[in-house]
Amino acid sequence: MEKGLIISPYEIVGSPLCVASDDGQKVFERIAGALKGGKSVMVSFRNVSSLTSAFLNAAIGQLYGSFSQEEIRARLKVKDMAQADLALLKRVVDTAKEYFKDPDRFRKAEQAALRGQNA
Amino acid sequence: MNTPDQSPAKSYALSDVRHDQAGFESLVRLYASLKAARFANLEIDMSRVGWFDADMCAPFGAVLYRTGSHVNKVSLVHLQPQVETILSKNGFLSHYGRMPARDKYGTTIPYQRFDAKDDRFFASYVEAKFVQRTELPRMSAGLVKRFRESVFEIFSNAVIHSQSTLGIFSCGQFFPKRNRLDFSVADLGIGIRRNVKEHTSLDLPAHEAIAWATSERNTTKRGPIPGGLGLKLLAEFITLNRGRMQIVSDAGYWSLENGHSHTALLSAPFPGTVVNVEINTADRRSYALTSEVKETDIF
Repeated sequence: MEKGLIISPYEIVGSPLCVASDDGQKVFERIAGALKGGKSVMVSFRNVSSLTSAFLNAAIGQLYGSFSQEEIRARLKVKDMAQADLALLKRVVDTAKEYFKDPDRFRKAEQAALRGQNA
Repeated sequence: MNTPDQSPAKSYALSDVRHDQAGFESLVRLYASLKAARFANLEIDMSRVGWFDADMCAPFGAVLYRTGSHVNKVSLVHLQPQVETILSKNGFLSHYGRMPARDKYGTTIPYQRFDAKDDRFFASYVEAKFVQRTELPRMSAGLVKRFRESVFEIFSNAVIHSQSTLGIFSCGQFFPKRNRLDFSVADLGIGIRRNVKEHTSLDLPAHEAIAWATSERNTTKRGPIPGGLGLKLLAEFITLNRGRMQIVSDAGYWSLENGHSHTALLSAPFPGTVVNVEINTADRRSYALTSEVKETDIF
């Protein structure tokens, strides 16, 4: 496996408040770019004080539309999260897996990703 | 053609606006009587309003903003002194030509309008007007975190689902003696009923559409970003906190209290969606989880 890349939502958003879907999209683009480039990614939530499902859906849930569960499990890690935030992320991930079980959604997400579009 | 300033004023009466179903009923009735007005000079007669729950300024402001967007001049007249004081302290009346009043006890979270792209501005507003306010009574760190994240979820929900171009309105009020914090967010978007219909082909009455949207795993979200958690997380928090949550969208009313939900149809539609919460500020729950989630078990 390639050496891991550390991605900081705090640095990308520029704030401890990681709450907006648009900000989550910026984080997603960094993570997806690294995974596509064959890197392993460690997302460090150090200095992040607030998270929402909207942010995490865009930043991480969305990855399940572009990458397989196996790829994500093998190459994506998180750290520096409080227990409550880990629980929220787990809910987001479980919801994303369920969401992309619908093959139509998965296909459309893949097409959008290929076009570099957000919707 | 007369401009709104030159037209003779038409008067519309409002009754008490409390933080409950009857309060929303007052507002949707007002909107029903205002919504056809164009290029008019409209006076909202407040003489019969003896009580106005301050957080309800968010949906009230949304109704008036929508009305103003139809090139009407809107003014509020004949306010009773106690109502004028409340609506001046939270800055609401400043939007209608009056001077703001000093909030001596620091119990208001001011009325504010945001554009949908103002997520960060909204976050700063919550931090500055609620979280960092030293005059508000102490709440547990866990409660503050959950409250803060809950209102962000409400705002994000409005941004993602409403397609509102006229903005998002918020307002709150703290009641120290009752250990209660009321907070409302209103948008002027397409509403939950239309969202559910357009994205799922379910053609539900407005109140049933809200119940559908708040049920586990249901979402109107389409496209590459999953969704459908925001309102459920909020409902879970409100149940744990023993607070109350209300949603009004189109003509639908939905409330959640003590783990039980209630739905009803209002007599007329609201021109968007309102989510409001009533937080029990005496809640000493730590909001710590009962079981540990490991970083290695997430994906």
